[in-house]
Amino acid sequence: MGVVIELRNVTYSYPLADKPAIKDVSLKVEEGKFYGVIGKNGSGKTTLCSIIRGFAPSFFKGELEGEVLLYGKPMSEYDQGELALHMGYVFQNPFNQISGVKETVFEEVAFGLENFGVPVEEIEERVMDIMKLTKIDHLAEQHPFELSGGQQQRLALASILVLEPDIMVIDEPTSQLDPEGTESVFEIISQLKKARKTVILVEHKVDLIAEYADEIFVLNDGELIKSGDKHDVLTDVSLLDHGVQLPQMAVLGHRLRKRGLNLDYIPITEKEAKDVIGRLIYREAQ
Amino acid sequence: MAEKKKYSIKTDFSLLALLLIPIAVAVNFVGGQVAVLLKIPLYLDTIGTIMVGMLCGPWVGGLAGLITNLVLGIAEPTFIPFAIVNVVVGVVTGLCARWDGFSVWWKWIISMVLMSLASIISAAPIVVLLYGGITASGTSLITATLMATGMNIWRAVISTELVFTISDRIISYIITYLIIRVIPDRTLIKFSIGENYIKKRKADEEAAA
Amino acid sequence: MWAEKLRIRKNNVIADLYPLTKLWIAALYALCVLILGTMKIDGYPVYMMAAFLVVPILALLSGIFKKFLNVYKGIFTLCLFILVVQALLIKSEEIVWGFKLFGNFTINVYKGGLQKGLDLSFNIMNIASILAWFFQTTENKELVYALEKKGMSPKASYVFLSTLQMIKVLQHNSRVIMNAQQARGVETEGNLFVRARAFLPSMVPLIMGSIANTEERVLTLESKGFSVKCKKTHIFDVVPSGNERTAMIIAVTITILVVVWRVLAWVL
Repeated sequence: MGVVIELRNVTYSYPLADKPAIKDVSLKVEEGKFYGVIGKNGSGKTTLCSIIRGFAPSFFKGELEGEVLLYGKPMSEYDQGELALHMGYVFQNPFNQISGVKETVFEEVAFGLENFGVPVEEIEERVMDIMKLTKIDHLAEQHPFELSGGQQQRLALASILVLEPDIMVIDEPTSQLDPEGTESVFEIISQLKKARKTVILVEHKVDLIAEYADEIFVLNDGELIKSGDKHDVLTDVSLLDHGVQLPQMAVLGHRLRKRGLNLDYIPITEKEAKDVIGRLIYREAQ
Repeated sequence: MAEKKKYSIKTDFSLLALLLIPIAVAVNFVGGQVAVLLKIPLYLDTIGTIMVGMLCGPWVGGLAGLITNLVLGIAEPTFIPFAIVNVVVGVVTGLCARWDGFSVWWKWIISMVLMSLASIISAAPIVVLLYGGITASGTSLITATLMATGMNIWRAVISTELVFTISDRIISYIITYLIIRVIPDRTLIKFSIGENYIKKRKADEEAAA
Repeated sequence: MWAEKLRIRKNNVIADLYPLTKLWIAALYALCVLILGTMKIDGYPVYMMAAFLVVPILALLSGIFKKFLNVYKGIFTLCLFILVVQALLIKSEEIVWGFKLFGNFTINVYKGGLQKGLDLSFNIMNIASILAWFFQTTENKELVYALEKKGMSPKASYVFLSTLQMIKVLQHNSRVIMNAQQARGVETEGNLFVRARAFLPSMVPLIMGSIANTEERVLTLESKGFSVKCKKTHIFDVVPSGNERTAMIIAVTITILVVVWRVLAWVL
């Protein structure tokens, strides 16, 4: 599978900052894979997203050393319009992702396509499809400001997905939502996984990361301290020292092993835990 | 030591600056309404324009002023001619800001005098020639009283303006400056004149230390 | 289907005219008023004064009389005030009308002031009310997109439309903040100094919050291709009703008649 994004020894500081927010990070993002980004608050997750999406340093200013490549070409050679076609960006605050000029949800979803000059008939078709996918079609005629947080976040996802970007950068989409809203947003994210989109997701709820991600990047204090397959990363107890949470099932697995139970591997999701324990019981029974 | 910074209309009108305009206009609206609500005898309805002028320079500031009065004009068309005054507020503030006119006390005084003069010079002809001295504002009662004592209409209008506009603009300047002082540096740096206020804060801190 | 649904149609022939046609009509009307204002009988702008009936009738025919009246009331009050002040306070030789109030105190209506006052107030009334008619028959987004079709920058459309929504958002937020501040004990009543001190805590959180949001909104707009340099499309479209030609012919004809009348009055 091809590499779509590559960071080579990237160090980045915000303007006026005393120390860099990202230190000497090198990583590769491959096409069609789902990446989870974890780390405690202030570890540089959002900054990493801004660099990958090309907002740092172009919008945030500051200084960037090293190389950031998108499809092998330096990020600085793309203009924001091109980047919008390649990469979708969704973040925490649902309200700030509303354009602020549209009076219906339908028009709000269509806003991006209008900017790209897509013909009206095609816009209508694509907007309808994406509203069904994100389950906001019943809200089409409402004012975007009148929606609940969860609905607004689905609207934010819809209005980006409608542009059909190859890569999605999603930064803590559920941190301001209630459990119901969170669930509805993750329904959409699971659709992205099914569609084999390249996804980079920052999420505090590590159990959800364990569920969806293929690979994990762990940040601490601006440094990439671990990356790789989710099983390798999310079962590594040394991460606990850096304030990174492990999935509940991984913690359970480690505890069971400590108690002397012979698990054949450490599970990270509920489904895996059922498997592992099922096999354990089967072996014991024999 | 101060290196001359180049300003261009294109960098002034960054996307961030454009997005600040709707906020400025809304702040003008809300400021005026809150002043009425708190029964403060000042207009306080140009704080948004002044803020944009201070942060983004004369052109963006002027545009914020223009849009404010056009939007006001939708509901009350008689406000439209006063767009000129609001544009002047934005432009003059922007020019003062570029000259770093809010850094030391004597520059503050010059900025305020310039601003007050420009406001009166732009407002008085509209008030006198177009509206015969009377506007929708409550201060017109004072103008009318002065005229009743036999004062010439120009003198009556300018006297009223001198008292009310100047105190309004001085207070608005101070309020806006207080607001800018609490905007975080990382935000300020994204505006074309934002840097001036960062330097100021650093200097203040050093002086305090 | 949505493009059809979003289209704004009014069931009144005049109100339904294309926004720019209505803007032209308003401009031509203002021109006529200014021309009529130069024709005076005994120093009074009689014809221009008579014209003030035109806009209310136009508003009535456009089916927006109620909305129009709300705006008109404000304009009317202002004009009345201007007229009174001018007539009573701008002194001139000739007194049209005067009466003794008490003792030696008299109120005089001066001819010069009256003439000037009628001139000013009816000019304002005419021009402000035709603008009121225009704005009451035209939705803001119709005007904005019509101007964009004529070459105005889409960024200008964005700023204008966003302003209209932002005013509502900030008005709402300011109410929330003021209630919260009152609950926290910030005094909003009392002497002037106390009330003035409440101004800052009411405004600062509002402005700071808005500015913080602005940064994220830049990211939103960039993500949605706002900076792409290409011809944008709009699912909302402003379309002429078909009666624009007729309306313009009527408006231009009337204007020409007014001009001819003025010229004849000069020559003869």
